[in-house]
Amino acid sequence: MDERNILDHQFVAAAYTITWVIQLAYLAWLGVKWRSEKRNAERKSRNLR
Amino acid sequence: MKKIALILFPAITILLMIWGYYQAIYVAPDDALQGYIFRIIYYHVPSASVAFLFFAISLIGSIGYLTYRRSSPARAQVADAWALAGAEVGVVFCTVVLTTGPIWGRRAWGIWWTWDARLTTTLVLWLIYVSYLLLRRFAAGPQMQTLAAVLGIFGALDVPIVYMSNRWWRTQHPAPVFGGDQDSGMKDPTMVHALLWNMLAWFCWGLLVLFLRYRVERKHQQYAEIEAEEALTSAN
Repeated sequence: MDERNILDHQFVAAAYTITWVIQLAYLAWLGVKWRSEKRNAERKSRNLR
Repeated sequence: MKKIALILFPAITILLMIWGYYQAIYVAPDDALQGYIFRIIYYHVPSASVAFLFFAISLIGSIGYLTYRRSSPARAQVADAWALAGAEVGVVFCTVVLTTGPIWGRRAWGIWWTWDARLTTTLVLWLIYVSYLLLRRFAAGPQMQTLAAVLGIFGALDVPIVYMSNRWWRTQHPAPVFGGDQDSGMKDPTMVHALLWNMLAWFCWGLLVLFLRYRVERKHQQYAEIEAEEALTSAN
């Protein structure tokens, strides 16, 4: 594999990795937010009763 | 039935993502001009398409909110939740577009960024929706949702400009893959298949995340409603 090909592979790998990092980081943040909203809603509804 | 769908849909999405990756890396051939680096297209173009689609969902949600905010507050809240979910997930996909694009550009053109019409209008679109999210995060009071809906509608006006930018102006960005003139687009059917599989996979992934975001926002609205009720009770 020549130098041009190696660089191309590295750039494609970087683009694919960054895509997944962004998507999975957002999904993880959403999971944390979901848990905290669920907990808040449950606590509040318990307090109202 | 709902439970089966909740398990089946993510499973199908993951399988599609694996299949799309396999098609992009192992099945599709190298581009005649750009070589291996062209494979970034299989993540870049689907991300852009999904971002446009979700900004359209945000537009519909924003119009829905403004339509129902007086006549049917419950419906308005549902529309507002879709508007927020569409804008936020759209920003995530637009961020992917704005990071994979410069990586590709660096190898193909020798530069990370150029202020051509396609790139600039995409950056403006991203900035508009980031400001939409900041408005929702930091503004308070009953006017916030109305202001956000208006901004969401204005933001969506940039989507057709981004889409048409490389048709209306001469740009460094390549011609459109679909719907361009005779000389543009992919000629190899294997490449087209790989792109379509990845589009389907990212569309399913996007729908999954959009639905999750919508559910989180509905929970948040439910919490805010209880809090308002509590405040009223304590005031009386």
